[in-house]
Amino acid sequence: MTVAVDVRMRLSAFVLDVTFEVPAGVTILFGASGAGKTTVLRAIAGLVRPDHGRIAVGERVLFDDATSTDVAVQQRQVGYVFQQLALFPHLSVEDNIAYGLSGRPLDERRSRVASVADSFGLLTLLQRKPTQISGGERQRAALARALVTDPAVLLLDEPLSALDHVVQSRIMDDLRGWNEARQIPVLYVTHNHREVYALGERVVALEAGRVLATGSPHDVLDHPTHGVLASLAGFENIFDAVVIERRERSGTMQCRLQGAIAELEVPLTEAAVGQMVRIAIRAGDILVSNQEPVGLSARNILRGTLAELSVHGPTVVAGVDAGVHFVVHLTPGGADALQLHGGSRVWLVIKTYSCRLVST
Amino acid sequence: MDWQAIWLTVKLATLVSMTLLVLGMPLAHWLAFTRWRGKFLIEAVVSLPLVLPPTVLGFYLLMAMGSRSPIGRWWMSLTGHGLAFTFEGLVIASLVYNLPFAVQPMAAAFAQVDPALREASATLGASPLRTFARITLPLSIEGALAGLVLSFAHTVGEFGVVLMVGGNLPGITRTVSVSIYDRVQALDYSGANQTALLLLAFSFTILVMVYGFRRRPWAAVPLT
Amino acid sequence: MRRFTIALVPLALIGLAIIQLDAQSPAGQSLTIAAASDLQAVFPEIAGRFERQSGTKTTVSFGSSGNFFAQIQNGAPFDLFFSADVNYPRQLIAAGHADQDSLYEYASGRLVVWTRKDSGIDISRGLLSLLDARVRRIAIANPQLAPYGRAAQAALKQAGVFDAVQSKLVRGENISQTAQLADSGNAQVGLIALSLALGPVLQASGRYVEIPETAHPPLEQAAVIVSGARNKTAAKAFVAFLQRPETNQLLQRFGFTPAASPVP
Repeated sequence: MTVAVDVRMRLSAFVLDVTFEVPAGVTILFGASGAGKTTVLRAIAGLVRPDHGRIAVGERVLFDDATSTDVAVQQRQVGYVFQQLALFPHLSVEDNIAYGLSGRPLDERRSRVASVADSFGLLTLLQRKPTQISGGERQRAALARALVTDPAVLLLDEPLSALDHVVQSRIMDDLRGWNEARQIPVLYVTHNHREVYALGERVVALEAGRVLATGSPHDVLDHPTHGVLASLAGFENIFDAVVIERRERSGTMQCRLQGAIAELEVPLTEAAVGQMVRIAIRAGDILVSNQEPVGLSARNILRGTLAELSVHGPTVVAGVDAGVHFVVHLTPGGADALQLHGGSRVWLVIKTYSCRLVST
Repeated sequence: MDWQAIWLTVKLATLVSMTLLVLGMPLAHWLAFTRWRGKFLIEAVVSLPLVLPPTVLGFYLLMAMGSRSPIGRWWMSLTGHGLAFTFEGLVIASLVYNLPFAVQPMAAAFAQVDPALREASATLGASPLRTFARITLPLSIEGALAGLVLSFAHTVGEFGVVLMVGGNLPGITRTVSVSIYDRVQALDYSGANQTALLLLAFSFTILVMVYGFRRRPWAAVPLT
Repeated sequence: MRRFTIALVPLALIGLAIIQLDAQSPAGQSLTIAAASDLQAVFPEIAGRFERQSGTKTTVSFGSSGNFFAQIQNGAPFDLFFSADVNYPRQLIAAGHADQDSLYEYASGRLVVWTRKDSGIDISRGLLSLLDARVRRIAIANPQLAPYGRAAQAALKQAGVFDAVQSKLVRGENISQTAQLADSGNAQVGLIALSLALGPVLQASGRYVEIPETAHPPLEQAAVIVSGARNKTAAKAFVAFLQRPETNQLLQRFGFTPAASPVP
């Protein structure tokens, strides 16, 4: 079962114009806040009406402005987990989960609620009110409520953003387990690139109402085509540069970083000499040496000074001034071994292929 | 002590406030959630009884219900007697001038229920009526209650319209407020005083009961 | 939701029952009279006597003649209308709201200057006393609604004091309310009906001076039978009852000059 989404809508900041598909499994709708992701979800759910387009779940058309089809929200069989969860505060967890099952016989209701509550670890909390359970439990309750009705599609709007990683991954395991048997399309909205790798099988990247890229997490994030995507995808270093030489036979080109004399050799593209390009480099892709390295294959060796050093959990973040400011990630072991401190002279080593050319 | 007037007033106020609770809900719901651009016109009409002096309102209601009006004549053909100067006429007049007191608190309470909750209810397959009954109404019960109490209290206290439309007929349209006025005019101050004190005590008790039994176990704001 | 709906049902039933109970309209067994406020002191007694004698339940509503006039035109369910003047009844007959030959002049009213005993105001000079500086407010009935108000206004003009006291006038909605304004002390002096002044309450609390009949057009007070009346038999019986000597005496005792005219 695939959800075909084709939506055009005038919004206050831009025009939303997207076309993509959501096959069975988890697809991440990825983009910065305000890119239009929530609006897309709401259109699929029927909570907003696009100006033009077509939304279909398999053979079933939910919206088509050509045929004036607009199935009511109640009939769309779309499970929706809101960003604020929207659990009914005056009903118990059990009543919340059972809410979408009204009209079915009592024992069927009870068994389905018990089954989904079990899958999501909520069995002991059924009689409590939403105010009486933790954040993670509330998230699970919201998921359970949406899933118990056996929806054809599941829409999740940044559901795990407020939770820590452990809780997040546990919930997603529960969700994956649930979906293995049913294989429904799940559209998951987030702006956090870590969730993309952890949870998604496919990614649709959205920016200012347009789809920038679709593909696997690797395709979309590791090789970001756009600067915006790059920064979202966790490329800490993004530089503007001018092409000063093209080396057809090597498959590379030499660029001078703007505002400095530092130069980088990057993969060859169609850019002409004198043209501006944008280069994105992951902080984790940069090697640091405390002596001038020799005998390396890397084409980019830059000399600089360590400006600052700080520890963020398992990562040491170093700021290095090499003509322009570089952000570098090291392991604590690596940082200790090099005996780095503020003002240390260092060399940065960057592979050509670590430099990604992104469009501006 | 005019027990007849007191009983009449209680009957009138109860009937009117209960009826408005039921009739006013659909209107309040529509006012709270419609996006029709002409909504402000309906809001103005509903609010008219708030700004019109009771005598003006009473005059127009009498014109509308009296024996010379189409409505009055239709009623006469239906029931054999007139509409003005009867208890039924008072009920209808009271429904009209209490409309804003019932509808406005309810509409305000409905509107402040978190829209995400109503949307969630819809995505879970609930019809608009079910969403209203299971989500909107329980979370705005205070507004409904306020509408009920206000229209009850306002009916008990109303004078100008009741006198105009009712005609001060003992046992039929002589409510407490009219009765007190009547006693004062007859210079029977002690009689007026007795009835007035009882009215005061009764109203106060009702209000104390209603406000004392309010509960606030949950607010209609989102939980994250 | 179900509980809520279930609760509505008995309430609705109660409501219907209440309406039914009240569907009782004055049947042929009772008599409903609209009476001008100046009859407030004497009519309860008369109605009581009539009720005892005839067995017909009689209810009297007091108010301003002008108000009753408007209400009767709109179908107010009175059987008899005792106005404080003769014009309202005449107009009702002309408009078809009262029976042609039922016009009955039942009395002539008198106007007095009244003040509380403890007001310290000297009213011995009648209307001229109103020029006293201590008289800050004078209660009269609204001339637009009440015949006594019109008479009071005429008397003030005739005495030549109207312009001087005009700013001090407060208008009562009917002559009873006017008396109440003076009795409460809110107005130092009231121009009220003699019949009210002779009532027990006002007798006890104040004193009065009669205004000469020549000071204003005569307050001829007349009654009519409303054309939509449900109990015309009783209405006629009541009018006949009024003409009896004992009832006449009662009216005189309360300051009314009876004027008899035959009733068919």
